[in-house]
Amino acid sequence: MIILVILIPFITGILVPAIPFRKRWQKEVFLETTVVLNSILVWYLLLHHSDSTFLLAHFTGNLNISFRVDGMSMVFAGLVSALWPFATLYAFEYMTKEKHENVFFLFYTLTYGVTLGIALAANLLTMYFFYELLTLVTVPLVMHTLTREAVLASRKYLYYSLGGAAFAFLGLIMVIVYGSTTDFIFGGVLDPAKTAGKTNVLLLIYVMAFMGFGVKAAVCPFNSWLPQAGVAPTPVTALLHAVAVVKSGAFAIIRLTYYSFGTDFLKGTWAQDVVMAVVMFTIVYGCSRAVKETHLKRRLAYSTISNLSYILFGAVIMTPLGLVGALTHLVFHAVMKICSFFCAGAVMHQTDRHYIHELNGLGYKMPRVFGIFTISALALMGVPGLAGFISKWNLACAAVESGSPLAWGGIACLLVSALLTAIYMLTIVVRAFFPGKDFDYSTVLDIRDPNWKMLLPLFVFTIFIILFGVYSQPIVDFFMSVAAGAV
Amino acid sequence: MNFICNFPFFSILLSLFSGTICSVLPAKAAKVVNRAVIIAVGLMSAVLLLYLLSTGEPFIYWMGHFPAPWGNEIRAGVLEAGMALFFCMIMYLSMAGGAHKLPGEVVESKHNLYYILVNLLLSSLLALVYTNDMFTAYVFVEINTISACGLIMIRQVGRTIEAAVRYMIMSLLGSGLLLFGLCIMYDLTGHLLMSNIKESVGLIMANGEYQIPLIVSVALMCIGLCIKSALFPFHAWLPDAYGYSTVSSAAILSSLVSKGYIFLLIKIIYRVIGFDIFNNTRIIDVLFVFGLMGMIFGSLSAIKEKDIRRMIAFSSVAQIGYIYMGFGMGTQAGMVASVFHILSHAATKSLLFVAAIGLTDVSGGSRKFIDLTGAAYRNKWAGVAFTAGSLSMVGVPLFSGFISKLLFAQAAVQVEGKMLASLIVLGISTVLNAIYFMKTVLRIYATTDEAAYTGITFRDMKAYAVTLVFFILLNVILGVSSQPVVNMIEQGLAMFA
Amino acid sequence: MFPILLSIFFPIAAGVFLLIRYRTPLSGEKRNTDRKALLLLTGCFLVITAAFAVAALLTGTGKDGFILFNLTKTLPVYFRIDSVGTLFSLLAVIVLPFAGFFSFEYMKHEERESRYYGFYLLAFGVLNGLCFAGNLITFYLFFELLTLSSMPLVMHSGSKEAVMAGLKYLFYSLCGAYAALFGIYFLYRNCDSLTFTAGGALRASAVAEHGGFLLVTAFVMLLGFGVKAGMFPMHAWLPTAHPVAPAPASAVLSSVIVKAGVLATIRVLGMFGTNFLRGTWVQTAWIILTLITVFMGSLLAYREPVLKKRLAYSTVSQLSYILFGLAVMNETSRTGALCHVLAHGFVKAALFLCAGAIIYKTGKTRVGEMRGIGKEMPLTLWCWTIASLGLIGIPPTGGFVSKWYLALGSLKSGLPVFDVLGPVILLLSALLTAGYLLPLTIYGFFPGADYDYGSLQKKEPCKLMIVPILILTILSVLIGLFPDIIASTIDMAITGR
Repeated sequence: MIILVILIPFITGILVPAIPFRKRWQKEVFLETTVVLNSILVWYLLLHHSDSTFLLAHFTGNLNISFRVDGMSMVFAGLVSALWPFATLYAFEYMTKEKHENVFFLFYTLTYGVTLGIALAANLLTMYFFYELLTLVTVPLVMHTLTREAVLASRKYLYYSLGGAAFAFLGLIMVIVYGSTTDFIFGGVLDPAKTAGKTNVLLLIYVMAFMGFGVKAAVCPFNSWLPQAGVAPTPVTALLHAVAVVKSGAFAIIRLTYYSFGTDFLKGTWAQDVVMAVVMFTIVYGCSRAVKETHLKRRLAYSTISNLSYILFGAVIMTPLGLVGALTHLVFHAVMKICSFFCAGAVMHQTDRHYIHELNGLGYKMPRVFGIFTISALALMGVPGLAGFISKWNLACAAVESGSPLAWGGIACLLVSALLTAIYMLTIVVRAFFPGKDFDYSTVLDIRDPNWKMLLPLFVFTIFIILFGVYSQPIVDFFMSVAAGAV
Repeated sequence: MNFICNFPFFSILLSLFSGTICSVLPAKAAKVVNRAVIIAVGLMSAVLLLYLLSTGEPFIYWMGHFPAPWGNEIRAGVLEAGMALFFCMIMYLSMAGGAHKLPGEVVESKHNLYYILVNLLLSSLLALVYTNDMFTAYVFVEINTISACGLIMIRQVGRTIEAAVRYMIMSLLGSGLLLFGLCIMYDLTGHLLMSNIKESVGLIMANGEYQIPLIVSVALMCIGLCIKSALFPFHAWLPDAYGYSTVSSAAILSSLVSKGYIFLLIKIIYRVIGFDIFNNTRIIDVLFVFGLMGMIFGSLSAIKEKDIRRMIAFSSVAQIGYIYMGFGMGTQAGMVASVFHILSHAATKSLLFVAAIGLTDVSGGSRKFIDLTGAAYRNKWAGVAFTAGSLSMVGVPLFSGFISKLLFAQAAVQVEGKMLASLIVLGISTVLNAIYFMKTVLRIYATTDEAAYTGITFRDMKAYAVTLVFFILLNVILGVSSQPVVNMIEQGLAMFA
Repeated sequence: MFPILLSIFFPIAAGVFLLIRYRTPLSGEKRNTDRKALLLLTGCFLVITAAFAVAALLTGTGKDGFILFNLTKTLPVYFRIDSVGTLFSLLAVIVLPFAGFFSFEYMKHEERESRYYGFYLLAFGVLNGLCFAGNLITFYLFFELLTLSSMPLVMHSGSKEAVMAGLKYLFYSLCGAYAALFGIYFLYRNCDSLTFTAGGALRASAVAEHGGFLLVTAFVMLLGFGVKAGMFPMHAWLPTAHPVAPAPASAVLSSVIVKAGVLATIRVLGMFGTNFLRGTWVQTAWIILTLITVFMGSLLAYREPVLKKRLAYSTVSQLSYILFGLAVMNETSRTGALCHVLAHGFVKAALFLCAGAIIYKTGKTRVGEMRGIGKEMPLTLWCWTIASLGLIGIPPTGGFVSKWYLALGSLKSGLPVFDVLGPVILLLSALLTAGYLLPLTIYGFFPGADYDYGSLQKKEPCKLMIVPILILTILSVLIGLFPDIIASTIDMAITGR
């Protein structure tokens, strides 16, 4: 069953170029149906999960490729499978303007499977395997337009990701050698008998592995691939570079920290301070770069950089509450950011405008898109009543609770970043709605909101942003039980 | 004595004689003979391997039934048989992959010479693998050098002659040093047979006399073989030699010849000096340091390179560095990792060379990156194969490169003092590998002006495509089911002792 | 329960309805002509909202408080009407509808009226929510929403200057709000709940443990919320943002919306408890900041030639009167502060509306141009004069009462230095106030001998404008004439019933 949900996207993806569809809608129906089915399957699997591990293959020694559903996988797999059908729907409309559609959908759907593989991996090796695979299947998506810019971006993406994986690999080795098993067990698997006297080396390797996985999560100074990768078509930037790929990095770090090295081993050490400082810096750095950026998608990408570090900040607090904060932001940010990216994509699709100074006055011509964009902007800022507030609240409370002065400084970083978020998001909104007195409205005459395929995902995400904002109790409770290691 | 025990001897002799026969045969027949010999030797090695696995005991074969020290001895264990089999496979695939290029690269009249050289090379490699006698080893080292030189030079372009001369000089320097070391060793022990030397060395170490000459002799032998296998900083001859010779030559040279020397070194370490004695010398530290430097500088040079073949050649320098790093760790695990990497690198590097030629062919024969843009669309098989090879080099799971990386890292963690250095360099080197290999992969998949070149289809290159598929399969098999191979290596190393 | 909810959500819903129903068409399209319907609707909405709010205050249903829903288990959205809330709500309920009616005339020539009224109503609802909020989280929620809903009012004219001012307003306010949020996070940890409780909600153990850090937290929160109240050093947005808004919006901004900062400060003091802060460095620093603001605001206003800007600087100064009263932290000064909330609210609304009327009728913005204005618009200028006297603090106006209490409280406080310095600065500032407000009266009524009476026209504004001005002016006097009623309400506020 588990292997099925990973395989279905693979097969579907490969079938897309293989089946000679006569009409475009046939392909759309085929893709959408399988993706939705697969998502339903995933949710079924998550809701009826058993604790058993599914062993796919032995690798070498005691290493094997196996899958299991636990709390963390439920969060990530649930998130990914909930978003994918909508993103696919959106992609149908968006890709009408792009070439090489089949190749695009091939890799797009493959990525679904690979991401699920990361989410459902039962041990570090399996996760690492799918993590590398993720890099490879997403490169063609980044390179999609085949322009020089795209090639350079994908080159950078590859270097960074593979390089990061190389250092994450060291963490894997440490767990293999010093752990009792490589399986994910809440609380860590390091064997105290083996690690005695080697604490500092292990911590050093942890920091390296953190930074290695952190490359995907765009931790400073390894973040520059993400804005560049924005040359990809928007469904990719939105789903992969705001959710699937980058969150895999965050997910991997959480796995590494909570399920492999273990917080007992890491908490209160210099390694924690180092990674926390890095993360805090990234939070502020990402936002400041976003403020400076004039390209719409790149600005959102920088915003993602900052927000990913929110998640990591929660993770490196290394308390159950911190993990709750991280998970909350992992899920909520996904919804918020995919929503704002889809708005940006809708604007680009409808108007071919890519820079923020070109957005003047569009708010009146695309009221739905910009209305939703405003809501997602407010949510990202953390206005109470919307999703972002809850996740920031959880993060900050965890930081206060932890009692470490550095974490308290982290709260300050969060707030500075919130302010900068307001600056870079709301200036766009203001531009769209307040173009200035002498604005010539004839320049935006023919522009209108996109069709339902683009709007439906937007509306759904907006509803979720508000829903999470006002009523997050069940989901936060669930995170609590995950963070307590109960699921 | 079982009949199968004759196989090592048969295979060496078969390849030697076939070389001789080739000289009188027409080119086409020579080719057939060459292929047949490689297959035959491969089959024999396979049977031998199975036999050895079933008995679990190595055997010593007296040539002409004279016991040592009068007769010459051949020794076969799991590792030797496995290596021989593997070498045959790679050699066959390399020859097959480069066959279609041969007419263009080598003048018609020299084709049978080419096959002679290949056969000689095979025989010398087999001899290096099987021999139990230091002097025999030396003789075949020289044969190996000469045939390798010939293989480089046979493509008579200006650059290859220079490369061959360079190779010759460096190689001879290496063999000279090896000979020196051998002489001193003979002086000290009075033996040439490996097992006998080892006993005497053990005595010398126990007595505490003549230790310095012994170390010097070991060091000389090591340096000699290092030069020949292009360990950094003795790699200057390599890029030209690999970069300009014929495809098959490059593939064979990079994946087999240097590996033959490395295998000999392993043999010397285990069979002549003794693993523990060797590890107690400072030599392993030196090897370790140069291995690490090779990993970094080889990759750096590769990054700077604008010529795809030379880039792959420089990458060999880095990969050889990995192997020596494994030696330098001075543990069984490190050794296993190194041996596995010999296999993995041989499989990958020949794949890359063969795939690269497919790419350059469809780019007007140019090897410059700029002309390779979009080559993978013109030759899809080569593109896929090159990508697979690159991923293996970078160490992506599923491919053999990942396993060797895994083994190296696991070995490194067990060595207290060298752990951090090796892990970090391993990480950095992976990043560097990613940079130059992925750059190439993206380049060949980037868009281009399709009209400028004509693409080729499967029908134009059946043999070539099939070869590539086999290469990839080999790589993936090594990557996925590595456990039997690792077990075999461990068993083989145990038999050495 | 329902009046409270209706007073909050009805205007919000109404505002959103207006925004959607009367979406302004672009130029070139058919223009929406049913302005009357829009005004009628807006008027009804304003009155209904005010009625709901009054009903909420009178029925007293909100005294016990109720939880609307839970954001998370520990974060309820909780409403409760207490006496401080009542006071502020009173101000809002009176000023907003009148300023709204005023704008019906004033906004005649502006574009996109529906947007203005939509956000005006939104702001009204949010203000009600702010006043009725029963815990810090609910309060914070409406505090942020207030900034967001009032920003479009500032930007309304759409000129570059206005947009920049709006953004400045936004960023300063958010900056303050986030500083406050920082404190809220820590309060949440160190209090049993975030519900407003009289006399401090800090846990005793927390005070003992991190007393020093909590002081820092308190200071950060005071500074943060102080931004909204235009306290030095974060006052710069106020003189930029208030003058560019349409006059009725500036009136609301200056008289009511900035009071949100004051209300916030009172709430913060309530959370920490005055006992915790009294006599600490936080109090000293805070008093210094407020006194600087009082003096600096007046001085800048005195030097400012543009009428609305002058009034904005005056707001900066006057708000810090209130903050000073709170900072002194005794009951008398607090009475003065709360009294001044009302007094300043009515006066400043009246003054801004007067200024709006003058600008609307004559188009003049600088004080220097307004010579003889009293001849043209006598009623307006009389209102201006009376309101000015209130701000200066001349009996029998409301300003006198509040300043009396402020000075008295300060002298009674027993603080070193500031007990005397405070009143002195207040007096100086009052002199300056006279200096910047009365010249308009003087030049308006006594334009001098060279004034050209021939060109004099009656420009008295229409009833829709003058009646709100009159009412607000009268109210400002009334609270001075019957201070007892106010004082008793405020006493209630202080005792916390």
